Amino acid sequence: MKIAAIAGSNANHSYNRMLLEYIAKDLRDTDDVDVIDIRKVPLFNENYKGKTPDVVADIDRRVADADAVIIASPEYNHSITSALKSMVEWLSYELHPLEDKPVMIIGASTHEQGSSRSQVQLRDILISPGVNAHVFQGEEFFMSNVAELMDEDGNITDAGTISFLNKCIREFKPYAEAINGMVAKKKEAAKD
Amino acid sequence: MKILALVGTNANFSYNRILLQFMKKHFKQMADIEIYEISKLPAFSVDVPLSEQTEVWKLKQKVKAADGVVFSTPEYDHGIPAALKSATEWLSYHTTVLKHKPVMVVGVSYGRQASARSQVQMRQILISPDCDANLLPGNEVLIGGASRVFSKDGRLIDEKMRDNLERCFTNFIEYIQVFENIDEEEVHMSIKRPTISDAYINFPTGRLSLKEVQQIFSTIPFEIDLVDSSDRFAWYSDKPNREHVRSVASLNEPVTECHPPKAVPVVTKIINSFRDGEKDVVTRPLWMNGHRSLIQYYALRDVDGHYLGTIEFTGSVEYILNLFENGGWDKKPDATTGASAHDEGGDQAAAPVADASTGASEADDDPASETAGSPVANEAADEDATTGASESGSVDADDESADATTGASEN
Repeated sequence: MKIAAIAGSNANHSYNRMLLEYIAKDLRDTDDVDVIDIRKVPLFNENYKGKTPDVVADIDRRVADADAVIIASPEYNHSITSALKSMVEWLSYELHPLEDKPVMIIGASTHEQGSSRSQVQLRDILISPGVNAHVFQGEEFFMSNVAELMDEDGNITDAGTISFLNKCIREFKPYAEAINGMVAKKKEAAKD
Repeated sequence: MKILALVGTNANFSYNRILLQFMKKHFKQMADIEIYEISKLPAFSVDVPLSEQTEVWKLKQKVKAADGVVFSTPEYDHGIPAALKSATEWLSYHTTVLKHKPVMVVGVSYGRQASARSQVQMRQILISPDCDANLLPGNEVLIGGASRVFSKDGRLIDEKMRDNLERCFTNFIEYIQVFENIDEEEVHMSIKRPTISDAYINFPTGRLSLKEVQQIFSTIPFEIDLVDSSDRFAWYSDKPNREHVRSVASLNEPVTECHPPKAVPVVTKIINSFRDGEKDVVTRPLWMNGHRSLIQYYALRDVDGHYLGTIEFTGSVEYILNLFENGGWDKKPDATTGASAHDEGGDQAAAPVADASTGASEADDDPASETAGSPVANEAADEDATTGASESGSVDADDESADATTGASEN
């Protein structure tokens, strides 16, 4: 399966980006995971109408190409980062690659909550009509105290975390396939 | 009442900007509303270098100076715009400017929902621990159907909505006053007024009441700021017409926050050189507020030489330079005739001052070479300037103390 994995932080050091890189490495035999870095995405601005920045157009293509999307979201002020919100705004303005796309939200934080509040918020944003994604419901992957569970090379050092992450991805993949099947049928029906 | 109002989007056209412009005019008798454009700010990232944060610093100063802040938010994808989130992240990163700051959320949208969901989100963000603002509860200003309810010239013409806005904003002003009575009066005024008004401090060289200490600092023609040993802004002298305008709201801030980002590297370098014991004084002659001024930084140390903090000693030197340019020091006195020269030349304005700086000019000749170790030549001269300032200590000579006051009143 082709998975676009979006890291929701623009910080140079990001555990969420490292988490996605871990997943990409872990799934390399079975899936093609494309880790998307949003550090170069400019702050969204409506004034750019008709002049989508190249870096956004590139991300649009990579998301559109994917069968499924995983977004790793940090939490700033009980909420998603402005950098991630900016990227979602770009992808729901003139381009809409997330429309009807199966998405799984995960997240890591150095605190106890493990980005849970920002994940709830991101879910609400992704299912808003302008974005219209299908967000996986079921297991919720909140990685608390990430600095203790991941080393600086990005290896998860806790066996329980690894097996739960695998379980989440295992359950997300059939969900994504089911959604893609439904969407294909919907498009087919629209043609008639 | 000063209100800062943030336009919650970076778009060139925004009904949220129009709403704030309307509020500015409509409420001008209740409050002085300053509209701030968040499009001036860089996108938030923890990796943005300090040198690119000048606008951020300016915004933080504005928030600090305001009695309350209004956020006007549109709604993008059920949430606040990334640009507004970015501004809010700046206001909660390495700063506490929003802490206990009265804030109000308003919003406009084209549709019926009137940015309700993004306003809920904005409220949650503002009360999160990193912001910790005093959010006005209730009082929802939900303006939907923007293109119908505003006139072409930007007036809110829907009567019900205008009534509601008036009610909510009035409540906000009252809400601010509730906190001002607690915060400003109780907390800040106790900082401005010495708490134990009849206590004395016994120095080895005499005693001073707290009131005298305070008034001495207010009277000497140089202003003094203290950054303590943990690099926090600890105190400033309450001198009228200061060159650097300081606010009690900045007290206890890290020194990196209370200076413009461009100045931070210089300030940090000076403080570190004092802490390391590498330097004891740094001097900067410069123009400030249209006149020649001098900033002198001194390492504050205890008798064992341990670093206690940094004093920033600032003032106009215009009157000193005028004295110099008018020949105040032209006649070189020898130590013994100095006093008698005063008697002879009593009619010359320059003469009394020559006495005031007698102590200093004595030091001028040799200690300049004595302090040859100091980094800049004029720094040696600066040490004399302090000698001059501390001349109030030489109470033994009547002439001198009289002159010292003359110098002060001439300022």
